[in-house]
Amino acid sequence: MPILEARSLSRTYRLGKVDVPVLRDLSLSVAEGEWLAILGASGSGKSTLLHLLGGLDRPDRNRSNPQAGVYFDGAPLAGKSRRDLDRHRARDFGFVFQFYHLLPELTALQNVTVASMVRLGLGYAGRSREVRKVAEELLDRFGLSGRLGHRPAELSGGERQRVAIARALVNEPRVLLADEPTGNLDRATGQGILDTISDLHRDKRQTIVMVTHDPYVADRADRALRLVDGVLADNREESAPMTPVLQG
Amino acid sequence: MYQALLTRRYLTSKLMPLLAALAVVLCTAMVLVVWSVMGGFLGMLLDTGRLLVGDVEITRPVTGMPYYEELIERLEADPEIKAATATVEGLALMGLEDGRTMAVKVIGVDGKGYDAVTGYGDTLWWRHLDQPNKKDVSREDLRLQLEPGYEDAGLMLTENNPFTGEPVAAAVPGIEATGETSRQTGGWYQSAYTEGLGVTLRRSESGDRWVMQSDGREYVIDKLPFTIDQSITLSMLPISGRGAAIDVQVRKIPIANEFRTGLYEVDQGIVLVRMDLVQEMLKLDRAVRVADSFSSGVTTNDDGSESFAEPEIIGEEPARATSVLIKGAPGVTDQRVKERCVAIYAQFFEAHPFEVPSPGQVRIDKWDERPSVAHLIGAVKTETSLVLALFGFISLTAVFLVFAIFWAMVSEKTKDIGILRSVGASRSGVGMIFISYGLVIGLVGAVLGVALAFLIVHNINPIHEWIGQVTGRYVWDPKVYYFTVIPNKVVLWQAALILVGGAVFSVLGSILPAAKAANMDPVRALRFE
Repeated sequence: MPILEARSLSRTYRLGKVDVPVLRDLSLSVAEGEWLAILGASGSGKSTLLHLLGGLDRPDRNRSNPQAGVYFDGAPLAGKSRRDLDRHRARDFGFVFQFYHLLPELTALQNVTVASMVRLGLGYAGRSREVRKVAEELLDRFGLSGRLGHRPAELSGGERQRVAIARALVNEPRVLLADEPTGNLDRATGQGILDTISDLHRDKRQTIVMVTHDPYVADRADRALRLVDGVLADNREESAPMTPVLQG
Repeated sequence: MYQALLTRRYLTSKLMPLLAALAVVLCTAMVLVVWSVMGGFLGMLLDTGRLLVGDVEITRPVTGMPYYEELIERLEADPEIKAATATVEGLALMGLEDGRTMAVKVIGVDGKGYDAVTGYGDTLWWRHLDQPNKKDVSREDLRLQLEPGYEDAGLMLTENNPFTGEPVAAAVPGIEATGETSRQTGGWYQSAYTEGLGVTLRRSESGDRWVMQSDGREYVIDKLPFTIDQSITLSMLPISGRGAAIDVQVRKIPIANEFRTGLYEVDQGIVLVRMDLVQEMLKLDRAVRVADSFSSGVTTNDDGSESFAEPEIIGEEPARATSVLIKGAPGVTDQRVKERCVAIYAQFFEAHPFEVPSPGQVRIDKWDERPSVAHLIGAVKTETSLVLALFGFISLTAVFLVFAIFWAMVSEKTKDIGILRSVGASRSGVGMIFISYGLVIGLVGAVLGVALAFLIVHNINPIHEWIGQVTGRYVWDPKVYYFTVIPNKVVLWQAALILVGGAVFSVLGSILPAAKAANMDPVRALRFE
């Protein structure tokens, strides 16, 4: 059973009086331990897809197909309450964004532990030591042991993205959802970030869904899909993993 | 948990919220200072307003009540009543030795009984003083020169005639009534004639004269150049039961002492005189009634001789009092005392039907219901609530300030909100950041504000003194505000209420921004640039 599955997903945004379809009847599935890359130009709807998969956004209601929606471990996200979705995001998903999205007032370490605070609520009080240790280990693994007390403004782009990845991983999520994680970095730094993600995938069998516009980035994944105008352009690759789509 | 972390971080890294906290500080301090001073003023007014009036008063103006001694006995027999005393009130023209005349209210009292009900003895001003008050560094207070004994004459309203040595009825005017003494900012009284001239007065060696010192020269004088060694002339007009004036009664009365309640209205307009004298002047004293038919002083006897006829005495008119003042036993409420008085008066009327005014003809008032007092206290109460309402209104700006600042902060923190939502924070959780932030700002601001108010109110007299010295203008003029010191106590429950209020106001101001944050679409928030 796939860990994450999208069935006939559609998402329309309303811009003034015009409905703009972003995703149209899109289906895909992600196996546990798989690294899936979704390749698409800007505006193709890839970020929206990631938000839908992670329960940050809800798809359009599909009247003709009641089965449409996102499934996690075989269970539909659609029926879940807001609170359950919040818990789901805290526990099962880790988001990494192109622009790092760190909280500027917090230190690197606090930016990581804040995700645990959100997940544990008041229970954090009794486990802060343990969480801190996990966070420190993560940051140490990413070569940031000397940067724990630094604010985001005092970190380089690559360091910030590593902090963001550590934050996404601190709750040991089932799926890491990465939105152009290297999009804002120079190539060498981006390669470093990809190496980090690659190690994670190899060592921990971390399931990863990554959207990118960069074929070289998609190259590193187990499998790549191409998203054009809200539709997966070519589904042939689904049966042939490890064959990256290189043609632009 | 993350709310606490972020609240702390936002609080220490941003300037704007500190401005909001400062606004809360100033608003809470301002309201508490005003409340303390005005409330304290009202409290002082209530305390002093009670002086000289007792707890409850039974009044029948002009014609008065006969058999008042019996009424007093009945009242004092009640366990809930501690003491009662009769007074006679009337209006008079008061003439001073220098020819000035003024209208005053004369109250005839029985000194000891009056003291038992009203604590009158404590208000007598001229008495021997061992130590000057703290502000009187140059020992200008004349009371330091007085020998003991002045207060006894004041209490009994009796002085010995200097020529015959016989005791005669005396008067005790309020200390502001004659205008011959003037209050100093330090709280003591100085002769109005020598004020500001650097004149000092002391007793002569022999003790019966005064030595006045001025510019290094000394003058020996027989009498003090003001009130307590002088007399007043009172002219009173007895009024008949139908309201017609009978004939003017004039008496010259020595001044035994002066009283001071601290309440300007009272100290300026009332002269106390021994009761029997006032009864006599107002024709309320005991009198015999003679037959109307008696027409001529001379009758012709049967044998042709003439003789003066004795008028036929057909009855006796008892002495009358216009008021009876009552003091309740300790722990008995004024309301209860009033109820007892109403009941006892009803019994008294039953014992003397149609001889004494009916219960409907007398007023039975608690001290603060007396028209003159109620008027003054009502005015100050209104003023206090008015000023408080105004400042409370101004304090509402703090709510809007917090609101505006938080609204801007929510906009600025849009991305943070999106990030927190992406790691699983709930809508209410995100909203709570701003609510708890508002609470912390309100609490910090209110605690500091209350502390500031404590400091200001506690030191308000030195501060006032200092402002007066610097600007040459004293805001709290004792002549206007009756009291020489500004109230300087903070009431704890008021401070607590304002502390809570400051916190509540800040939370109120943060509610809408918090709701805005909670309702933010996380996807849009993340895309927000």
